[in-house]
Amino acid sequence: MGSLEGILSGVQLAFSIEGILFVFLGVLAGTLIGMMPGLGPISAIAIMIPLTYNMDPTVALVLMAGVYYGAVFGGSTSSILLNAPGISGTVATSFDGYPMAQRGEAGKALAVAAISSFVGGTVSVVLLMLFAPALSSVAVVFGPPEYFALMVLGLTAISSLSDGSTVKALISAVLGIMAVTIGIDSQTGTTRFTFNNPNLLEGIDFLVVALGLFALSEVCALIINRSQTSKDRKSLGSLKLSKSELKDMSGPVGRQSILGFILGVLPGAGATIASFIGYITEKKLAKKPKEFGKGAVRGVAAPETANNAATSGAFVPLLSLGIPGSGTTAVLLGALLVLDIQPGPLLMGEQPQLFWGVIVSMYVGNLFLLILNLPLIPYIAKILAIPRPLLISLVIMFSMIGVYSISFNTFDLYLLLIFGIIGYLMRLFKFPPAPFILAFILGGMMEESFRQAMTMSNNDLSVFINKPIALGMLIAAFLSFVVPIWQGYYRKKKHAA
Amino acid sequence: MLRPAHRKISLILIALSIFYLYLSFQLPSFTNTVIDASTMPKALGVGLIILSLILFFSPDKETKEDKEKRIIPKEDLRKIIGVVFMILAYIFLLERLGFLLVSFLFIFFCSLFLGYTKHGVNLIVSILFPLVLYSAFTMLLGISLPSGIIPF
Repeated sequence: MGSLEGILSGVQLAFSIEGILFVFLGVLAGTLIGMMPGLGPISAIAIMIPLTYNMDPTVALVLMAGVYYGAVFGGSTSSILLNAPGISGTVATSFDGYPMAQRGEAGKALAVAAISSFVGGTVSVVLLMLFAPALSSVAVVFGPPEYFALMVLGLTAISSLSDGSTVKALISAVLGIMAVTIGIDSQTGTTRFTFNNPNLLEGIDFLVVALGLFALSEVCALIINRSQTSKDRKSLGSLKLSKSELKDMSGPVGRQSILGFILGVLPGAGATIASFIGYITEKKLAKKPKEFGKGAVRGVAAPETANNAATSGAFVPLLSLGIPGSGTTAVLLGALLVLDIQPGPLLMGEQPQLFWGVIVSMYVGNLFLLILNLPLIPYIAKILAIPRPLLISLVIMFSMIGVYSISFNTFDLYLLLIFGIIGYLMRLFKFPPAPFILAFILGGMMEESFRQAMTMSNNDLSVFINKPIALGMLIAAFLSFVVPIWQGYYRKKKHAA
Repeated sequence: MLRPAHRKISLILIALSIFYLYLSFQLPSFTNTVIDASTMPKALGVGLIILSLILFFSPDKETKEDKEKRIIPKEDLRKIIGVVFMILAYIFLLERLGFLLVSFLFIFFCSLFLGYTKHGVNLIVSILFPLVLYSAFTMLLGISLPSGIIPF
């Protein structure tokens, strides 16, 4: 367990003027960007990264974590008001949130979403405080074979859990690792796949990939929906909830805070899956399941609690293992590496202020989010009225300046455009981009730990079999993609018969 | 046989992996290292071929609706291609004309091109936004953006 001293230094940081200011800026930016239909937390974090380059790492992490959970928190607003989810984690919220809004109860739906998000977010931070140190102390014994196995498991899990075809998701992951092999190989010094272009020697910067695959390609989708406006928006109505409504949502909120957290910790899952599973389980548990989909309070409370709980859950593997389990935490890891922070089991002991500061700041951040999303929501929701053409131009320009400000090289901007087009094509043909970015971040680490493991064992592959933890993870990884692919075949045969 | 889109994609991916493998085999080898620079790329290339083959032979699960979603109306396609060209122009001119001027032109004309008709608001945003960003980057973050032909 973490030392009291460490926690106190974290509290000190989180409640310093700097800490409070940056967590506020983070959650505000996250809420605003997350609210924009189409722009998700990955884009939100990637857009903010250039602003953190010269910052103190701890403050930068507080800010970016705030952007992340702020985006998940704020994403519900456009789901409810426009039926156009800002992020995939709030798609399930629109099932009941939008019917409520059409009934003239938009305010109520927003209030349910804000309260559920707040409780889910806060409860899961308590769980994060308990589990992250525990996992850190377990993971201290992890060597290169375990890390390699864990990363393989993370990649296969995200592939089998992403919506759509597992094969396509795995292809996306392999392409991600391929993209990261471009450049000088750190171990042998060999240049790989650079086509003698000096700009590629250092490899492709992860920000180029993240902004291209996400922000730019999301903008392409916005161009197609550019005429969709918020004109048909009805008035918000009262934000007040009755006692019976509060009682009605207490069950789902309590259960989903814990379930969502667990799903967030697991590799590959995350906010989107947690919100759908939360919605489905509550529908099954409900006394009147038929009300779901027609504007049930529980139908908004369940996914909103689960997605926010999952967001904090995702910080457990990121902070204590240094291995992200989702696309969003992968981008966060990329940002941390730029700031010279290597998260992992040693982080808690070596940089207690950073470790605990970020966690404690999440309490403060969730409180700010409650204020932003409850009493202030009528004003903040006005941002949805920004005309799409203007929004599109601004996001494109901001992405390009973000990339330019890290490399001062226009070559990277051309690459950004290429990744934007690749990302758009991937969406069009249903190749999920999240495994790509996770693989891109993990690829280099995977190769390194594989090499270390092989050096340790004198080139003997049995090192992965003799270590029970590594073997278990590799078996789980294997099953996680073989089973869905095999099931797909089986179903096809059944169809044919 | 090639009608389902995923079969065409699978062939493209196989071509890509063969090219990638060809390059991997060209990489110089070091006998003293356990895992060579080309080891992982070779594994990746083979892996991609296997996955592409599975994709090729997997059943066509796309519904008609999915296929229709992929058809982009000509008007939208023209807009996307137009924006891509504007981005290319932006990149080409960024270091030549400077951040402020190019960003102003980009925001104004890109919004206009996408059908924004309130020219006054457009003008104000396209001037103010780059100015605020420029000051934030240079003063707060210490990152200097190309000033180009505007002398500050």
